[in-house]
Amino acid sequence: MSNRIDWKAIAKARGLEIPAADLELIAPRLDALEEAFRPLARALTPDQEPAPAFDAERDGE
Amino acid sequence: MTIREAGRALRDRKVSSVELTRQAIEQIERLNPTLNAFITITAESAFERARQADAELAGGHDRGPLHGIPIAHKDLFLTRGVRTTGGSKIYENFVPDHDATVVEKLDLAGAVSLGKLNMHELAFGITSTNPHFGAVRNPWNPEHIPGGSSGGSGVAVATDMVFAATGSDTGGSIRIPAAYCGVVGLKPTYGRVSRYGTIPLAFSLDHMGPLARTVRDAALVLNAMAGYDSRDPASARRSVIDFVPEDHCEIRGLRIGVPERFFFARLDPEVKTAVTAAVARAKDLGAEIRTVDLPDIEALITAGMVIQFCEVAAVLEPHLAARERFGKDVLALVDQGRFLSGPDYVNAQRLRRQAQQDFRSVWKEVDCLMMPTTAISAPRIGEARVCIGEYEEDIRSASTRLVRSFNALGLPALSMPCGRSAAGLPIGLQIVGPAFGEALVLKTAAALEYSVIVPR
Repeated sequence: MSNRIDWKAIAKARGLEIPAADLELIAPRLDALEEAFRPLARALTPDQEPAPAFDAERDGE
Repeated sequence: MTIREAGRALRDRKVSSVELTRQAIEQIERLNPTLNAFITITAESAFERARQADAELAGGHDRGPLHGIPIAHKDLFLTRGVRTTGGSKIYENFVPDHDATVVEKLDLAGAVSLGKLNMHELAFGITSTNPHFGAVRNPWNPEHIPGGSSGGSGVAVATDMVFAATGSDTGGSIRIPAAYCGVVGLKPTYGRVSRYGTIPLAFSLDHMGPLARTVRDAALVLNAMAGYDSRDPASARRSVIDFVPEDHCEIRGLRIGVPERFFFARLDPEVKTAVTAAVARAKDLGAEIRTVDLPDIEALITAGMVIQFCEVAAVLEPHLAARERFGKDVLALVDQGRFLSGPDYVNAQRLRRQAQQDFRSVWKEVDCLMMPTTAISAPRIGEARVCIGEYEEDIRSASTRLVRSFNALGLPALSMPCGRSAAGLPIGLQIVGPAFGEALVLKTAAALEYSVIVPR
């Protein structure tokens, strides 16, 4: 189990029923994604809007 | 034989659709026990459809280039009355009461469906080593994977079981099997081909497209698949043009961007040699080759993975109470998405939009991009990691890292064969164009098609 983020505790807090062995398997991948994604998310500025999935013109038909 | 050649033979009465269908079924019977490309073979309805196609042609009713041509569908396209599994235990007994739009369109175009193709479970993976329906095997060496998730599609086309097949591509799932099986695969622009009636993986990244033996065959199938569909909320209101490149198309003066950073780093040397040779051939044909520096692809890939994980978890969460119904690799990927949050999803979409905006400047410099489809040729079944020079890499990453970003950008991207490794395995060249630039991508591919080494 990774010692960086306690994924087991997060799973418990969120009520995710994931067997310990399965969690053990994905923890390093979660760490890697966290390491890659978190700095990018932190660097976003308020003017950067998401890519919209909703199209008002079309969905309003 | 290409679709166009078969079409000519059909119209000259040199062959019938029933004969083409019989040849295809015989090929499936001969090869499918080894290669496992099909989950369901619908021979009876195929012959009925072929007889109808022959009768229509005889009566002067010509539905166009796909009339009477044997094809097959990846088993995530809903087919009325025919089991549609998504390669999953979850849907193992699912018999839809309606067709996917793509199935409808190809049916209207006169194509003869021979059945449903095997795939990576739920389209979430690149090996097509399906735990429920068996491993799909590479026709160039059955000990190797065919790529995925549209592995059955790649194999069926490469082995002449069918002239063309449908596929879906969420993170490379059309282009990777096209590269590993030595066929042409096109992921069209997001919105160009309807997703209605397909088992979703990740709503905003799923693209439907064709796999075929030649560029022009892929274009013919795209002609039939494309178009606005009010039942798909992401469908684009773009008019459909004829995507088939003219016979002697030229790329003289075309500005081709070669993104050396990232896309040409960490490649199997044989892949690098073959793709570099294809770029050189494009230059010989008069294209202007420019080295380009693309916006931050690593960041885009990361954002795309977060979006994919979140959307997949949203789709599959209701099924997770029965964990035993999932393969181990798919379950691990689905579980990852459950740890991401709402803000993570929004932030990933913000990064995606930034990348889309940054990418616009690329198309001021060049008309299209050329790069490898995958960093390696098809790995062995069961192999988890490969060595690329001094680097060791997960085969999923080595297979997807050069294709994945174009799903997040929604851009049209095609893979075509450009050579073979010393072991005889195909190597794929990827051509990417601006949004709705499929015609340009296909034209570029067609110009190169007969001047680079094409494995058959």
